[in-house]
Amino acid sequence: MGETKINIGPVHPSTHGVLRLVVTLDGDTIRKVEPHIGFLHRGVEKLVETRMYMQSPSYMEKIDYVAPLSYDELYVATVEAALGITVKDRAQYVRLIQLELQRIASHLLWLGTAINDIGQLFSVFMWCFKDRDIVLSLLEEATGGRMFYVNQRLGGLNRDMAPGFDKHAYKALDYLEKRIGEYQEYLESNPIFMERMKKIGIMSKEEAISLGVTGPTLRGSGVEFDVRENYPYYVYEKLHFNTQFENGGDCFARYRVRINEMKESIRLIREALHIIPEGDAIGMPIRLIGPQPKEKEVMVRRELPRGEGMMYMVTEGQRPYRLSIRAPSFINTAILQHLPKGHRLQDLFPILASVDTVMADVDR
Amino acid sequence: MEDKPYDEVQFANARQEMEKLAFDSLKGRKLPVNAVFAKLSDVTKAIASGTVTWGRKNSLWPMQFGLACCAMELLDFGSARVDAERGGYLLFRGTPRQTDVMIVAGWVTKAMIPEVKRLYEQMAEPRYVIAYGECATCGGPWWESYNIIKGIDQVLPVDVYVAGCPPRPENLFGALMKLQEKIGGKIVENKL
Repeated sequence: MGETKINIGPVHPSTHGVLRLVVTLDGDTIRKVEPHIGFLHRGVEKLVETRMYMQSPSYMEKIDYVAPLSYDELYVATVEAALGITVKDRAQYVRLIQLELQRIASHLLWLGTAINDIGQLFSVFMWCFKDRDIVLSLLEEATGGRMFYVNQRLGGLNRDMAPGFDKHAYKALDYLEKRIGEYQEYLESNPIFMERMKKIGIMSKEEAISLGVTGPTLRGSGVEFDVRENYPYYVYEKLHFNTQFENGGDCFARYRVRINEMKESIRLIREALHIIPEGDAIGMPIRLIGPQPKEKEVMVRRELPRGEGMMYMVTEGQRPYRLSIRAPSFINTAILQHLPKGHRLQDLFPILASVDTVMADVDR
Repeated sequence: MEDKPYDEVQFANARQEMEKLAFDSLKGRKLPVNAVFAKLSDVTKAIASGTVTWGRKNSLWPMQFGLACCAMELLDFGSARVDAERGGYLLFRGTPRQTDVMIVAGWVTKAMIPEVKRLYEQMAEPRYVIAYGECATCGGPWWESYNIIKGIDQVLPVDVYVAGCPPRPENLFGALMKLQEKIGGKIVENKL
Protein backbone atom coordinates (compact mmCIF):
# COMPACT_ATOMS: atom_id res chain seq x y z
CA MET A 1 0.00 0.00 0.00
CA GLY A 2 1.24 3.45 -0.85
CA GLU A 3 2.01 6.16 1.61
CA THR A 4 -0.42 8.97 2.30
CA LYS A 5 0.48 12.42 3.53
CA ILE A 6 -2.01 14.30 5.63
CA ASN A 7 -1.84 17.75 7.08
CA ILE A 8 -2.98 18.50 10.64
CA GLY A 9 -3.22 22.12 11.64
CA PRO A 10 -2.12 24.87 12.01
CA VAL A 11 -5.65 25.44 13.26
CA HIS A 12 -6.88 22.18 14.68
CA PRO A 13 -8.86 21.73 17.90
CA SER A 14 -6.45 19.12 19.26
CA THR A 15 -3.08 20.69 18.55
CA HIS A 16 -3.23 23.11 21.51
CA GLY A 17 -2.37 26.17 19.54
CA VAL A 18 -1.09 26.71 16.06
CA LEU A 19 1.12 23.69 15.50
CA ARG A 20 1.18 22.18 12.04
CA LEU A 21 1.96 18.51 11.66
CA VAL A 22 2.57 16.83 8.31
CA VAL A 23 2.00 13.14 8.93
CA THR A 24 3.07 10.41 6.52
CA LEU A 25 0.79 7.40 6.87
CA ASP A 26 0.99 3.85 5.65
CA GLY A 27 -2.63 2.79 5.92
CA ASP A 28 -3.36 3.83 9.50
CA THR A 29 0.19 3.55 10.77
CA ILE A 30 2.35 6.62 11.24
CA ARG A 31 5.65 6.47 9.40
CA LYS A 32 6.85 10.04 9.83
CA VAL A 33 5.77 13.23 11.59
CA GLU A 34 7.14 16.64 10.69
CA PRO A 35 6.21 19.46 13.07
CA HIS A 36 6.11 22.91 11.48
CA ILE A 37 6.42 25.74 13.95
CA GLY A 38 6.74 29.50 13.84
CA PHE A 39 3.13 30.63 13.45
CA LEU A 40 3.28 32.68 16.64
CA HIS A 41 6.77 34.14 16.39
CA ARG A 42 6.83 37.78 17.45
CA GLY A 43 10.46 38.36 18.42
CA VAL A 44 10.39 38.65 22.20
CA GLU A 45 14.15 38.39 22.51
CA LYS A 46 14.63 41.30 20.15
CA LEU A 47 11.95 43.44 21.80
CA VAL A 48 13.56 42.98 25.21
CA GLU A 49 16.76 44.57 23.93
CA THR A 50 14.93 47.84 23.38
CA ARG A 51 13.50 47.98 26.91
CA MET A 52 14.83 48.80 30.36
CA TYR A 53 15.19 45.81 32.67
CA MET A 54 11.92 46.13 34.51
CA GLN A 55 9.83 47.05 31.49
CA SER A 56 10.04 43.51 30.15
CA PRO A 57 8.21 41.26 32.68
CA SER A 58 4.97 41.91 30.84
CA TYR A 59 6.51 40.45 27.66
CA MET A 60 7.87 37.50 29.57
CA GLU A 61 4.45 36.56 30.91
CA LYS A 62 3.11 36.23 27.39
CA ILE A 63 5.76 33.68 26.40
CA ASP A 64 3.99 30.93 28.27
CA TYR A 65 0.44 32.08 28.79
CA VAL A 66 -0.63 28.95 30.65
CA ALA A 67 1.89 29.62 33.42
CA PRO A 68 2.73 33.33 33.12
CA LEU A 69 3.97 33.82 36.65
CA SER A 70 6.75 31.25 36.27
CA TYR A 71 8.31 33.06 33.33
CA ASP A 72 7.86 36.42 35.01
CA GLU A 73 9.73 35.12 38.04
CA LEU A 74 12.45 33.55 35.89
CA TYR A 75 13.11 36.84 34.13
CA VAL A 76 13.11 38.90 37.32
CA ALA A 77 15.46 36.36 38.94
CA THR A 78 17.81 36.76 35.96
CA VAL A 79 17.80 40.54 36.36
CA GLU A 80 18.35 40.17 40.10
CA ALA A 81 21.34 37.94 39.44
CA ALA A 82 22.73 40.47 36.97
CA LEU A 83 22.23 43.44 39.27
CA GLY A 84 23.38 41.55 42.38
CA ILE A 85 20.21 41.98 44.40
CA THR A 86 19.16 39.52 47.08
CA VAL A 87 15.51 38.68 47.60
CA LYS A 88 13.90 39.48 50.93
CA ASP A 89 13.22 36.57 53.22
CA ARG A 90 9.44 36.77 53.23
CA ALA A 91 9.32 37.49 49.52
CA GLN A 92 11.08 34.18 48.84
CA TYR A 93 8.26 32.32 50.56
CA VAL A 94 5.55 34.34 48.85
CA ARG A 95 7.13 33.74 45.45
CA LEU A 96 7.36 30.03 46.12
CA ILE A 97 3.68 29.88 47.10
CA GLN A 98 2.64 31.76 43.99
CA LEU A 99 4.85 29.65 41.72
CA GLU A 100 3.38 26.44 43.07
CA LEU A 101 -0.16 27.80 42.76
CA GLN A 102 0.65 28.63 39.16
CA ARG A 103 1.93 25.09 38.63
CA ILE A 104 -1.36 23.66 39.91
CA ALA A 105 -3.34 25.95 37.59
CA SER A 106 -1.18 24.98 34.64
CA HIS A 107 -1.44 21.25 35.27
CA LEU A 108 -5.20 21.50 35.78
CA LEU A 109 -5.55 23.19 32.41
CA TRP A 110 -3.40 20.46 30.90
CA LEU A 111 -5.53 17.74 32.47
CA GLY A 112 -8.76 19.24 31.19
CA THR A 113 -7.67 19.84 27.63
CA ALA A 114 -5.66 16.63 27.25
CA ILE A 115 -8.50 14.44 28.42
CA ASN A 116 -10.92 16.30 26.23
CA ASP A 117 -8.69 15.45 23.27
CA ILE A 118 -8.32 11.77 23.90
CA GLY A 119 -11.83 10.61 24.53
CA GLN A 120 -14.30 13.49 24.56
CA LEU A 121 -14.60 13.19 28.34
CA PHE A 122 -15.95 16.71 28.41
CA SER A 123 -17.05 16.57 32.05
CA VAL A 124 -13.43 16.43 33.19
CA PHE A 125 -12.71 19.54 31.14
CA MET A 126 -15.53 21.34 32.93
CA TRP A 127 -14.39 20.19 36.37
CA CYS A 128 -10.77 21.10 35.77
CA PHE A 129 -11.64 24.57 34.58
CA LYS A 130 -13.90 25.11 37.55
CA ASP A 131 -11.04 24.16 39.87
CA ARG A 132 -8.53 26.18 37.88
CA ASP A 133 -10.72 29.21 38.41
CA ILE A 134 -10.44 28.69 42.16
CA VAL A 135 -6.65 28.78 41.87
CA LEU A 136 -6.79 31.82 39.60
CA SER A 137 -9.02 33.67 42.05
CA LEU A 138 -6.53 32.84 44.81
CA LEU A 139 -3.75 34.31 42.67
CA GLU A 140 -5.94 37.28 41.89
CA GLU A 141 -6.40 37.85 45.59
CA ALA A 142 -2.65 37.62 46.13
CA THR A 143 -1.40 39.65 43.17
CA GLY A 144 -4.26 41.65 41.69
CA GLY A 145 -4.37 40.09 38.25
CA ARG A 146 -6.48 37.24 36.98
CA MET A 147 -4.21 35.90 34.28
CA PHE A 148 -1.22 38.23 33.90
CA TYR A 149 0.19 39.39 37.20
CA VAL A 150 3.39 41.46 36.74
CA ASN A 151 3.81 41.26 40.49
CA GLN A 152 7.55 40.64 40.75
CA ARG A 153 9.86 43.51 41.59
CA LEU A 154 13.59 43.55 42.14
CA GLY A 155 14.27 42.03 45.55
CA GLY A 156 10.64 41.30 46.32
CA LEU A 157 7.12 41.82 45.15
CA ASN A 158 4.81 44.62 44.15
CA ARG A 159 2.22 43.54 46.68
CA ASP A 160 2.44 41.19 49.57
CA MET A 161 -0.26 38.61 50.12
CA ALA A 162 -3.52 40.18 51.25
CA PRO A 163 -4.44 39.70 54.94
CA GLY A 164 -6.51 36.57 55.33
CA PHE A 165 -4.97 34.98 52.26
CA ASP A 166 -3.66 31.96 54.15
CA LYS A 167 -7.12 31.17 55.50
CA HIS A 168 -8.58 31.19 51.99
CA ALA A 169 -5.59 29.26 50.67
CA TYR A 170 -5.91 26.46 53.25
CA LYS A 171 -9.60 26.10 52.43
CA ALA A 172 -8.98 26.04 48.68
CA LEU A 173 -6.09 23.59 49.01
CA ASP A 174 -8.21 21.17 51.02
CA TYR A 175 -10.84 21.32 48.31
CA LEU A 176 -8.32 20.92 45.49
CA GLU A 177 -6.66 17.93 47.15
CA LYS A 178 -10.01 16.21 47.42
CA ARG A 179 -10.86 17.01 43.81
CA ILE A 180 -7.53 15.85 42.39
CA GLY A 181 -7.95 12.56 44.24
CA GLU A 182 -11.40 12.23 42.70
CA TYR A 183 -10.07 12.87 39.19
CA GLN A 184 -7.42 10.25 39.64
CA GLU A 185 -9.92 7.73 40.94
CA TYR A 186 -12.36 8.47 38.14
CA LEU A 187 -9.85 8.50 35.30
CA GLU A 188 -7.92 5.42 36.33
CA SER A 189 -11.11 3.40 36.50
CA ASN A 190 -12.20 4.65 33.09
CA PRO A 191 -11.47 2.07 30.37
CA ILE A 192 -11.39 4.64 27.53
CA PHE A 193 -8.77 6.69 29.31
CA MET A 194 -6.63 3.70 30.27
CA GLU A 195 -6.76 2.14 26.80
CA ARG A 196 -5.69 5.36 25.17
CA MET A 197 -2.91 6.27 27.60
CA LYS A 198 -1.25 3.01 28.67
CA LYS A 199 1.64 1.73 26.55
CA ILE A 200 1.25 4.62 24.09
CA GLY A 201 4.24 6.72 23.12
CA ILE A 202 6.84 4.90 25.18
CA MET A 203 10.06 6.89 25.61
CA SER A 204 13.02 5.17 27.20
CA LYS A 205 15.28 6.79 29.77
CA GLU A 206 18.24 7.05 27.36
CA GLU A 207 16.07 8.48 24.60
CA ALA A 208 14.60 11.08 26.93
CA ILE A 209 18.01 12.23 28.12
CA SER A 210 19.56 12.30 24.65
CA LEU A 211 16.68 14.34 23.22
CA GLY A 212 17.10 16.96 25.95
CA VAL A 213 13.57 16.62 27.22
CA THR A 214 12.81 18.21 30.60
CA GLY A 215 10.00 18.56 33.07
CA PRO A 216 7.21 16.05 33.67
CA THR A 217 7.90 14.56 30.24
CA LEU A 218 11.41 13.62 31.37
CA ARG A 219 10.31 12.45 34.81
CA GLY A 220 7.67 10.24 33.23
CA SER A 221 10.53 8.25 31.72
CA GLY A 222 12.03 7.40 35.08
CA VAL A 223 14.67 10.12 35.33
CA GLU A 224 14.76 11.63 38.79
CA PHE A 225 15.68 15.18 37.86
CA ASP A 226 14.01 18.31 39.08
CA VAL A 227 15.70 21.70 39.25
CA ARG A 228 13.86 22.38 42.47
CA GLU A 229 15.70 19.51 44.14
CA ASN A 230 18.96 19.24 42.18
CA TYR A 231 19.74 22.97 41.93
CA PRO A 232 17.46 24.41 44.61
CA TYR A 233 16.48 28.05 44.66
CA TYR A 234 14.54 30.13 47.18
CA VAL A 235 13.44 28.00 50.11
CA TYR A 236 12.93 24.66 48.40
CA GLU A 237 15.83 23.32 50.45
CA LYS A 238 14.11 24.13 53.74
CA LEU A 239 10.87 22.46 52.69
CA HIS A 240 10.61 18.71 52.34
CA PHE A 241 10.40 18.42 48.60
CA ASN A 242 10.34 15.08 46.81
CA THR A 243 10.86 14.76 43.07
CA GLN A 244 7.91 12.99 41.48
CA PHE A 245 8.78 10.48 38.80
CA GLU A 246 7.33 7.38 37.15
CA ASN A 247 9.04 4.53 35.40
CA GLY A 248 6.50 3.76 32.68
CA GLY A 249 7.71 6.18 30.00
CA ASP A 250 4.31 6.14 28.32
CA CYS A 251 1.54 8.73 28.20
CA PHE A 252 0.04 7.34 31.39
CA ALA A 253 3.29 7.87 33.30
CA ARG A 254 3.47 11.46 32.12
CA TYR A 255 -0.11 11.98 33.27
CA ARG A 256 0.68 10.36 36.62
CA VAL A 257 3.69 12.63 37.17
CA ARG A 258 1.56 15.71 36.66
CA ILE A 259 -1.13 14.48 39.04
CA ASN A 260 1.50 13.71 41.69
CA GLU A 261 3.16 17.07 41.11
CA MET A 262 -0.10 18.82 41.82
CA LYS A 263 -0.40 16.92 45.11
CA GLU A 264 3.22 17.73 45.94
CA SER A 265 2.63 21.41 45.17
CA ILE A 266 -0.37 21.46 47.48
CA ARG A 267 1.78 19.95 50.22
CA LEU A 268 4.57 22.46 49.57
CA ILE A 269 2.21 25.44 49.74
CA ARG A 270 0.77 24.21 53.03
CA GLU A 271 4.24 23.79 54.45
CA ALA A 272 5.37 27.21 53.23
CA LEU A 273 2.24 28.91 54.58
CA HIS A 274 2.92 27.26 57.92
CA ILE A 275 6.48 28.53 58.35
CA ILE A 276 6.34 31.82 56.42
CA PRO A 277 8.14 34.54 58.42
CA GLU A 278 6.62 37.92 59.16
CA GLY A 279 8.25 40.98 57.69
CA ASP A 280 8.57 43.08 54.60
CA ALA A 281 8.20 41.55 51.12
CA ILE A 282 7.95 44.69 49.01
CA GLY A 283 10.63 45.03 46.34
CA MET A 284 12.25 48.07 44.76
CA PRO A 285 9.91 50.39 42.88
CA ILE A 286 10.47 50.68 39.14
CA ARG A 287 12.59 53.77 38.47
CA LEU A 288 13.69 55.35 35.24
CA ILE A 289 17.32 54.79 36.14
CA GLY A 290 17.80 51.70 38.25
CA PRO A 291 20.92 50.15 39.76
CA GLN A 292 23.87 49.39 37.50
CA PRO A 293 24.52 45.73 36.63
CA LYS A 294 27.33 43.99 38.48
CA GLU A 295 27.65 40.92 36.29
CA LYS A 296 28.53 40.96 32.60
CA GLU A 297 26.62 37.79 31.81
CA VAL A 298 24.34 35.62 33.90
CA MET A 299 22.35 32.44 33.50
CA VAL A 300 19.46 31.35 35.69
CA ARG A 301 17.56 28.08 35.58
CA ARG A 302 14.14 27.33 37.00
CA GLU A 303 11.70 24.45 36.98
CA LEU A 304 8.73 25.72 35.00
CA PRO A 305 5.51 23.68 34.80
CA ARG A 306 6.45 22.53 31.30
CA GLY A 307 10.11 21.79 31.95
CA GLU A 308 13.37 23.45 32.67
CA GLY A 309 13.56 27.09 31.64
CA MET A 310 16.82 28.97 31.37
CA MET A 311 17.63 32.57 30.65
CA TYR A 312 21.01 33.78 29.57
CA MET A 313 21.48 37.53 29.71
CA VAL A 314 24.35 39.77 28.61
CA THR A 315 24.02 43.15 30.26
CA GLU A 316 24.92 46.56 28.96
CA GLY A 317 24.05 49.55 31.15
CA GLN A 318 20.37 49.95 31.83
CA ARG A 319 19.12 47.37 29.35
CA PRO A 320 19.98 43.84 28.28
CA TYR A 321 22.36 43.57 25.36
CA ARG A 322 21.12 40.09 24.57
CA LEU A 323 18.61 37.78 26.20
CA SER A 324 18.48 34.15 25.18
CA ILE A 325 15.67 31.94 26.37
CA ARG A 326 15.72 28.17 26.62
CA ALA A 327 12.04 27.40 26.29
CA PRO A 328 11.11 23.92 27.53
CA SER A 329 8.21 23.53 25.08
CA PHE A 330 10.47 24.10 22.10
CA ILE A 331 12.80 21.26 23.01
CA ASN A 332 9.95 18.98 24.10
CA THR A 333 8.23 19.49 20.74
CA ALA A 334 11.16 17.80 19.04
CA ILE A 335 10.16 14.41 20.42
CA LEU A 336 7.03 14.54 18.28
CA GLN A 337 9.26 13.50 15.39
CA HIS A 338 10.24 10.28 17.18
CA LEU A 339 7.51 9.12 19.56
CA PRO A 340 4.50 8.59 17.27
CA LYS A 341 6.41 6.42 14.77
CA GLY A 342 4.74 3.05 14.38
CA HIS A 343 1.61 4.10 16.25
CA ARG A 344 -1.85 4.47 14.80
CA LEU A 345 -3.03 7.91 13.76
CA GLN A 346 -5.47 8.19 16.67
CA ASP A 347 -2.59 7.71 19.11
CA LEU A 348 -0.92 10.88 17.85
CA PHE A 349 -3.22 13.05 19.95
CA PRO A 350 -2.60 11.40 23.34
CA ILE A 351 1.13 11.68 22.62
CA LEU A 352 0.83 15.30 21.58
CA ALA A 353 -1.29 16.04 24.63
CA SER A 354 1.05 14.25 27.04
CA VAL A 355 4.05 16.33 25.93
CA ASP A 356 2.15 19.50 26.91
CA THR A 357 3.49 22.12 24.56
CA VAL A 358 2.47 25.74 24.50
CA MET A 359 3.01 27.10 21.03
CA ALA A 360 3.76 30.67 22.09
CA ASP A 361 6.55 29.22 24.21
CA VAL A 362 7.88 27.29 21.21
CA ASP A 363 7.90 30.21 18.79
CA ARG A 364 8.68 33.10 21.15
CA MET B 1 -49.07 8.48 19.13
CA GLU B 2 -50.52 10.75 21.78
CA ASP B 3 -47.19 12.32 22.75
CA LYS B 4 -46.91 14.36 19.59
CA PRO B 5 -47.57 18.04 20.12
CA TYR B 6 -49.23 18.41 16.72
CA ASP B 7 -52.07 16.88 14.79
CA GLU B 8 -50.70 14.45 12.23
CA VAL B 9 -53.29 15.09 9.58
CA GLN B 10 -52.79 18.82 9.91
CA PHE B 11 -49.05 18.40 9.69
CA ALA B 12 -49.32 16.39 6.48
CA ASN B 13 -51.51 19.03 4.91
CA ALA B 14 -49.46 21.96 6.19
CA ARG B 15 -47.59 22.49 2.98
CA GLN B 16 -50.71 22.47 0.92
CA GLU B 17 -52.32 24.89 3.31
CA MET B 18 -49.38 27.25 3.15
CA GLU B 19 -49.37 27.20 -0.62
CA LYS B 20 -53.09 27.88 -0.61
CA LEU B 21 -52.58 30.82 1.72
CA ALA B 22 -49.87 32.22 -0.49
CA PHE B 23 -51.97 31.83 -3.64
CA ASP B 24 -54.97 33.39 -1.93
CA SER B 25 -52.94 36.44 -1.09
CA LEU B 26 -52.05 36.80 -4.76
CA LYS B 27 -55.61 36.25 -6.01
CA GLY B 28 -57.05 38.89 -8.24
CA ARG B 29 -53.72 40.37 -9.21
CA LYS B 30 -52.59 40.59 -12.80
CA LEU B 31 -49.32 38.77 -13.00
CA PRO B 32 -47.09 37.54 -15.77
CA VAL B 33 -47.02 33.76 -15.94
CA ASN B 34 -43.45 33.30 -14.77
CA ALA B 35 -43.72 35.76 -11.92
CA VAL B 36 -45.79 33.52 -9.67
CA PHE B 37 -42.77 31.75 -8.29
CA ALA B 38 -40.89 34.98 -7.73
CA LYS B 39 -43.81 36.44 -5.83
CA LEU B 40 -44.19 33.26 -3.89
CA SER B 41 -40.59 33.43 -2.74
CA ASP B 42 -41.19 37.06 -1.73
CA VAL B 43 -44.06 35.98 0.46
CA THR B 44 -41.99 33.24 2.02
CA LYS B 45 -39.18 35.67 2.62
CA ALA B 46 -41.47 38.12 4.30
CA ILE B 47 -42.79 35.43 6.60
CA ALA B 48 -39.38 33.98 7.27
CA SER B 49 -37.14 37.03 7.61
CA GLY B 50 -38.20 37.81 11.17
CA THR B 51 -37.78 34.20 12.17
CA VAL B 52 -34.40 33.93 10.48
CA THR B 53 -33.07 37.05 12.18
CA TRP B 54 -34.35 35.80 15.50
CA GLY B 55 -32.77 32.40 14.97
CA ARG B 56 -29.51 33.84 13.71
CA LYS B 57 -29.34 36.14 16.69
CA ASN B 58 -29.92 33.47 19.29
CA SER B 59 -27.80 30.61 18.06
CA LEU B 60 -24.35 32.05 17.45
CA TRP B 61 -21.87 29.24 17.09
CA PRO B 62 -18.32 30.38 17.67
CA MET B 63 -15.32 28.73 16.05
CA GLN B 64 -12.90 26.77 18.19
CA PHE B 65 -9.96 28.84 17.07
CA GLY B 66 -7.45 29.94 19.64
CA LEU B 67 -4.27 31.73 18.70
CA ALA B 68 -2.58 32.87 21.89
CA CYS B 69 -3.14 33.99 25.48
CA CYS B 70 -6.72 35.12 25.02
CA ALA B 71 -7.62 31.57 23.96
CA MET B 72 -7.19 30.54 27.60
CA GLU B 73 -9.96 32.95 28.54
CA LEU B 74 -11.93 31.65 25.59
CA LEU B 75 -11.73 28.15 27.10
CA ASP B 76 -12.85 29.59 30.42
CA PHE B 77 -15.73 31.25 28.62
CA GLY B 78 -16.95 27.87 27.43
CA SER B 79 -16.51 26.15 30.77
CA ALA B 80 -18.36 25.88 34.02
CA ARG B 81 -18.05 29.25 35.77
CA VAL B 82 -19.11 31.61 33.00
CA ASP B 83 -21.38 29.08 31.28
CA ALA B 84 -21.74 30.42 27.76
CA GLU B 85 -24.71 28.19 27.11
CA ARG B 86 -26.99 30.71 28.80
CA GLY B 87 -26.65 32.98 25.79
CA GLY B 88 -26.73 30.22 23.19
CA TYR B 89 -23.04 30.45 22.34
CA LEU B 90 -21.92 27.13 23.68
CA LEU B 91 -21.26 25.04 20.63
CA PHE B 92 -17.64 25.67 19.81
CA ARG B 93 -17.19 23.92 16.49
CA GLY B 94 -13.98 22.52 15.13
CA THR B 95 -14.70 23.26 11.50
CA PRO B 96 -15.29 26.74 10.08
CA ARG B 97 -18.11 25.51 7.86
CA GLN B 98 -20.42 25.07 10.83
CA THR B 99 -19.73 28.37 12.54
CA ASP B 100 -21.14 31.89 12.55
CA VAL B 101 -18.67 33.81 14.67
CA MET B 102 -14.91 33.88 14.51
CA ILE B 103 -13.35 35.05 17.75
CA VAL B 104 -9.81 36.15 16.95
CA ALA B 105 -8.09 35.60 20.30
CA GLY B 106 -4.46 36.55 20.07
CA TRP B 107 -1.83 38.17 17.94
CA VAL B 108 -1.80 37.46 14.20
CA THR B 109 1.63 36.95 12.70
CA LYS B 110 2.54 37.35 9.07
CA ALA B 111 2.72 33.57 8.74
CA MET B 112 -0.77 33.26 10.14
CA ILE B 113 -2.55 35.83 7.91
CA PRO B 114 -3.26 33.45 4.99
CA GLU B 115 -4.57 30.81 7.39
CA VAL B 116 -6.89 33.23 9.17
CA LYS B 117 -8.15 34.57 5.84
CA ARG B 118 -8.76 31.07 4.58
CA LEU B 119 -10.70 30.11 7.69
CA TYR B 120 -12.81 33.23 7.33
CA GLU B 121 -13.53 32.44 3.70
CA GLN B 122 -14.56 28.89 4.57
CA MET B 123 -17.23 30.13 6.98
CA ALA B 124 -20.79 30.20 5.68
CA GLU B 125 -22.40 33.61 5.31
CA PRO B 126 -23.51 35.56 7.24
CA ARG B 127 -20.31 35.56 9.28
CA TYR B 128 -19.11 37.79 12.05
CA VAL B 129 -15.72 38.57 13.53
CA ILE B 130 -14.93 39.54 17.10
CA ALA B 131 -11.48 40.98 17.81
CA TYR B 132 -10.84 39.72 21.33
CA GLY B 133 -8.06 41.40 23.27
CA GLU B 134 -5.44 44.03 22.63
CA CYS B 135 -3.40 42.09 20.08
CA ALA B 136 -6.32 41.41 17.74
CA THR B 137 -7.61 44.95 18.19
CA CYS B 138 -4.49 46.98 17.55
CA GLY B 139 -1.34 44.90 17.97
CA GLY B 140 -1.18 45.44 21.71
CA PRO B 141 2.17 44.94 23.38
CA TRP B 142 3.72 43.66 20.15
CA TRP B 143 3.22 47.00 18.37
CA GLU B 144 6.94 47.30 17.68
CA SER B 145 7.45 43.70 16.63
CA TYR B 146 8.58 42.92 13.12
CA ASN B 147 6.32 39.93 12.58
CA ILE B 148 2.90 41.08 13.79
CA ILE B 149 0.06 42.87 12.03
CA LYS B 150 -1.37 45.71 14.03
CA GLY B 151 -4.90 44.49 14.46
CA ILE B 152 -6.97 41.88 12.65
CA ASP B 153 -9.08 44.65 11.06
CA GLN B 154 -6.32 45.13 8.52
CA VAL B 155 -7.30 41.74 7.10
CA LEU B 156 -10.91 40.99 8.07
CA PRO B 157 -14.01 43.13 8.70
CA VAL B 158 -14.47 43.27 12.47
CA ASP B 159 -17.90 43.57 14.08
CA VAL B 160 -17.06 43.93 17.76
CA TYR B 161 -13.81 44.87 19.49
CA VAL B 162 -13.06 43.77 23.03
CA ALA B 163 -10.40 45.63 24.96
CA GLY B 164 -8.21 44.16 27.67
CA CYS B 165 -5.08 42.09 28.01
CA PRO B 166 -6.62 39.58 28.28
CA PRO B 167 -10.27 40.59 28.69
CA ARG B 168 -12.14 38.62 31.30
CA PRO B 169 -14.51 35.91 29.99
CA GLU B 170 -17.44 38.07 31.07
CA ASN B 171 -16.31 40.70 28.58
CA LEU B 172 -16.70 38.18 25.77
CA PHE B 173 -20.21 37.56 27.00
CA GLY B 174 -20.83 41.29 26.70
CA ALA B 175 -19.30 41.38 23.23
CA LEU B 176 -21.52 38.58 21.98
CA MET B 177 -24.55 40.37 23.41
CA LYS B 178 -23.54 43.48 21.47
CA LEU B 179 -23.23 41.31 18.35
CA GLN B 180 -26.74 39.98 18.96
CA GLU B 181 -28.03 43.54 19.13
CA LYS B 182 -26.27 44.28 15.88
CA ILE B 183 -27.73 41.26 14.11
CA GLY B 184 -31.17 41.99 15.51
CA GLY B 185 -31.10 45.40 13.84
CA LYS B 186 -30.84 47.53 16.94
CA ILE B 187 -28.38 50.36 16.67
CA VAL B 188 -25.60 49.90 19.16
CA GLU B 189 -25.40 53.18 21.03
CA ASN B 190 -22.24 54.51 22.44
CA LYS B 191 -23.32 55.57 25.90
CA LEU B 192 -20.02 56.98 27.04
